[in-house]
Amino acid sequence: MRISISTTGALLGTLLVVGSAVAETTPTRPPRSSWKNETSYPAIAEGKWTGKRRADGQPDIEGHWSNTIANHNNWTDPQGGAPGDNPRELGPRESRAPSRVTDPADGQLPYQPWARAKQQEFAAHFANPTEPRFIEPLARCAPAGVPKSFTWHGYEIRQYPGYVFLLFGSGSRLIHLDGKPHLADNIKLWNADSRGHWEGNTLVVDVRNNNGKALLGRTGDFISENAVIEERYVFANDGKRFNYVARVTDPEVFTRPWTATIPMKHWTEKDPIHNWHYEVVPANGRPEIDEKYEQTCVENNAGFGGGAVGVPRTDAIIQR
Amino acid sequence: MISTPHRLSAALVLMLLTAVGNAETGTGIPRLANGKPDFSGIWQTTSPADYDLEPHGPRRDAPPGAGVIDGKSIPYKPEALERRKQNFSVRTTNDPRLKCWTLGVPRSVYYPEPFQILQRERDLTLLHQFGHQVRTIHTNGTQHPVEKGQEFWLGDSRGKWEGDTLVVDVADFHDETWLDRAGNFHSVDLHVVERWKYLDANTIEYRATLEDPQVFTRPWSLTVNLHRNRDKNAQIIEDYCFTLDYDQHYPPRKN
Repeated sequence: MRISISTTGALLGTLLVVGSAVAETTPTRPPRSSWKNETSYPAIAEGKWTGKRRADGQPDIEGHWSNTIANHNNWTDPQGGAPGDNPRELGPRESRAPSRVTDPADGQLPYQPWARAKQQEFAAHFANPTEPRFIEPLARCAPAGVPKSFTWHGYEIRQYPGYVFLLFGSGSRLIHLDGKPHLADNIKLWNADSRGHWEGNTLVVDVRNNNGKALLGRTGDFISENAVIEERYVFANDGKRFNYVARVTDPEVFTRPWTATIPMKHWTEKDPIHNWHYEVVPANGRPEIDEKYEQTCVENNAGFGGGAVGVPRTDAIIQR
Repeated sequence: MISTPHRLSAALVLMLLTAVGNAETGTGIPRLANGKPDFSGIWQTTSPADYDLEPHGPRRDAPPGAGVIDGKSIPYKPEALERRKQNFSVRTTNDPRLKCWTLGVPRSVYYPEPFQILQRERDLTLLHQFGHQVRTIHTNGTQHPVEKGQEFWLGDSRGKWEGDTLVVDVADFHDETWLDRAGNFHSVDLHVVERWKYLDANTIEYRATLEDPQVFTRPWSLTVNLHRNRDKNAQIIEDYCFTLDYDQHYPPRKN
């Protein structure tokens, strides 16, 4: 599309226009969800899967999903705003969603001193980036990476024998369940290399080959290109939620491994459309099915995002 | 004494008939649980279609190719042919692929990087290695969106089965994609009908018919074969090459 939904995600003025355009095509349903992001979320225990299964035996968890608390503004204070936001009444920390960091218990990332300094330098320059390295990469249409993709807009999970496919607002991931080994470790990728298997209600994914370039959010939190992430997608047996639990081991940047938890809600045709979490359109001819259109960004020749500016590109990048 | 040759030729005829039967009925091809052909796999053409759809001799930027279109040339309207000549003259700098932008349809199918088909009864997902293209071909009886003029970079794809052939109607395009590296092009009025058909379990015949009354005098067609990649290590590796211009700035490094 000439103006994509993903591009408008942070261009608030345009977002309103596109949001209402989408709403006009859905006369039979409320145009907007009244969904409010959560400030707390339930634990989900790992255990047996008693819900629906697919023909190949996988738990059937297909469909549209989105995190329930916040976007990528701020990793450890998810509802605390992006660096440089206009001061507003935030209230006490306890009134907002907890840190995505669930271990260590203080919710802070256990940075080595040099890495903390780099993160703080990024945060200080985010709203007015004076160098390319201070532009949040998603603002330049880069893939949102692992694990930041789970904090940015709703996304779709499609399942196949041997694979789980994640279709995000910026980029996609094919998780191999086929037992094939990881790529060679000199290959570094925005969305890394994912090899997984099911343990009861939990999809366990070993994530390597992450290039670390996507960063974790507008606060400039980051991991290195040698980080290893063990993801555990713990699904509730009623199919309505899952908790994404990621154990990050990255001794180049941190003093110890740490764990992130991101709560997710399943959005279905029973939900009203939401212009961030559930950007769908009822299918023509079968309005009981919601579908999402293609995602573009770089093609629109402009990036987006907070105080950062995208960098339009009009000449050749590759020589192949 | 003539019985042996008779038996031999009878066996030969039977073999030939079986071979023809396989090609025509598609026995031996992968199928979904609902009996429809299952195109799951990693595919790529060996044809030089992306260099130039039309017949062309060798040149600095392209290997020779016999052409993948019906006939010798694309039936451009006169003013469109001028635009195509202009595109050709700046092809080494202005081809949108050089910015790693979404290639569009049908170009993404014969572009010389692999793509993986992931298939369910309700749809096919085409995960292209190049750029960030993911195309969904809906096969669940749904129609093109009510809202027209959305100008999708990949068009909007709705498929139906005619026997073992997947017929896909693709409409509502953006006009900034090219059809190949030679500057062949289209307008927003492009309409593509694709026909995907197994020739055998490892080969798909892909045929696309393009009409665009702003640009072409009549509909025209191209055909390429897609081959299943059976290399030992074959897999799609992301190629978000539009990030290569700035990716060196991340992540922060210890000085």
